[in-house]
Amino acid sequence: MNQEAIQTKMRQRAKELLNSGAVTMVLGWEAGTFWYQSTPILIRQAEDADKLVWNDFCQNNLSKYLLDFRFTNEKIALFLKGCDSRAFNRLLQDKQIEREKTYIIGIPCEGMKDHRLAQSKNEGDDLPLAKICQSCRYPNPVIYDELLTEEVTPRQKIVDFSDVEAIEQMSADERYEFWQKEHTKCIRCYACRNVCPACNCRKCIFDQATSGWNSKDVNASENQFYAMTRAIHIAGRCIECGQCEYVCPANIPIMLMNKKLIKDIDLLFGDYDAGLSIEGQPPLGHFEKDDPEEFM
Amino acid sequence: MSDHTEQIKTAENGFEPKILVFACNWCTYAGADLAGLSRLEYPPNVRVLRVPCSCRVNPQFVIRAFQRGIDGVLVAGCHPGDCHYTTGNYYTRRRFLLTKRLLDFVGIDSERFHVRWISGAEGPKFQEVVTDITAAIKAIGPNQKLCDYFPTETLLPNEGGDNQ
Repeated sequence: MNQEAIQTKMRQRAKELLNSGAVTMVLGWEAGTFWYQSTPILIRQAEDADKLVWNDFCQNNLSKYLLDFRFTNEKIALFLKGCDSRAFNRLLQDKQIEREKTYIIGIPCEGMKDHRLAQSKNEGDDLPLAKICQSCRYPNPVIYDELLTEEVTPRQKIVDFSDVEAIEQMSADERYEFWQKEHTKCIRCYACRNVCPACNCRKCIFDQATSGWNSKDVNASENQFYAMTRAIHIAGRCIECGQCEYVCPANIPIMLMNKKLIKDIDLLFGDYDAGLSIEGQPPLGHFEKDDPEEFM
Repeated sequence: MSDHTEQIKTAENGFEPKILVFACNWCTYAGADLAGLSRLEYPPNVRVLRVPCSCRVNPQFVIRAFQRGIDGVLVAGCHPGDCHYTTGNYYTRRRFLLTKRLLDFVGIDSERFHVRWISGAEGPKFQEVVTDITAAIKAIGPNQKLCDYFPTETLLPNEGGDNQ
């Protein structure tokens, strides 16, 4: 099914759901300011459903927006791609949202286009898939109430860790230099935290400016402290949606650090893909007595 | 924490590293105490910080220590299976297996961060571990990574902060 057909179906389903009163709100995407941007939209009126779009740039993960409505009784319908549905499971597993209050319309996703590259191109030009979508293993929603189209074939079967391995090959000093260079660019806008479906603490340590833990200084040291803390806090819960990189205004390879942790978790504690199911506990939330022992 | 530049100066004529030990109250702290009671000599470079359980140590504590000019960190607790709180150190193990690799990934020398299980009866082991780590860190010199930030008065933990 082509994009236009999906878009028509999206609008139609949104209208039906709102008109029937099955839901009070629909979360989707609308055309953004630029052609290479589609921004999330929240619809309450059936007539607004025609604002919904489905194109190559519906990158935003809508699951995280549910957190804004966790203390309301609204029934929300939302469109989820494969990665977004893993985010949904992730929030469900953390008991941040309620399944009963949502209606999921799954969209098997062919991959989004590289929006950074698009900025220097014209509308209609050929664009490669976004980096994160090139290695997508779960394009089909893993949790849904209905699917808009038939499922698509995953582009990858196994995770590609070649970029992580390239860094691992460097010497310690080279690695430090690489990360320091990247993190010096950080302006600590915390967009990567705000957008992350694994970051759902009620109060983030980085919002506690008077705790003595962190300062508002934007320098290499503080930025690295932030980056490493963020990475370790979401270890075992990252669903590889790449939203952190997508929103980063400084273009920092945030997923590289996340992928390193995923790689190590797979090696140390067995293969684990966060957000595929809500059963069990994430790797750092439980233990096995026969975990690798190297601290004797 | 004394001035970092001063520390580098000392390095030129005999560098004395600062090593932070997070010692679990029930095992390692008792082990360190036993080392003292047994008159076992160990380097004075270590600063022992008592924590209720090795599981209390957040990876942030370690990163923060490096930021503030510590040259090496040791997290030590009860042997797996011996935790006072039954399961705490199993979580410690998982967490720091990962943290150690992350620190390595961002370029912190893996010699600078260690986790060890030291029971209350292992005074000699405490002495041995601390001596080895101090020697290793002396050999690789002061830590200059992460720590270009110095605390100022205004940034010290203040009373009634919003972390309460």
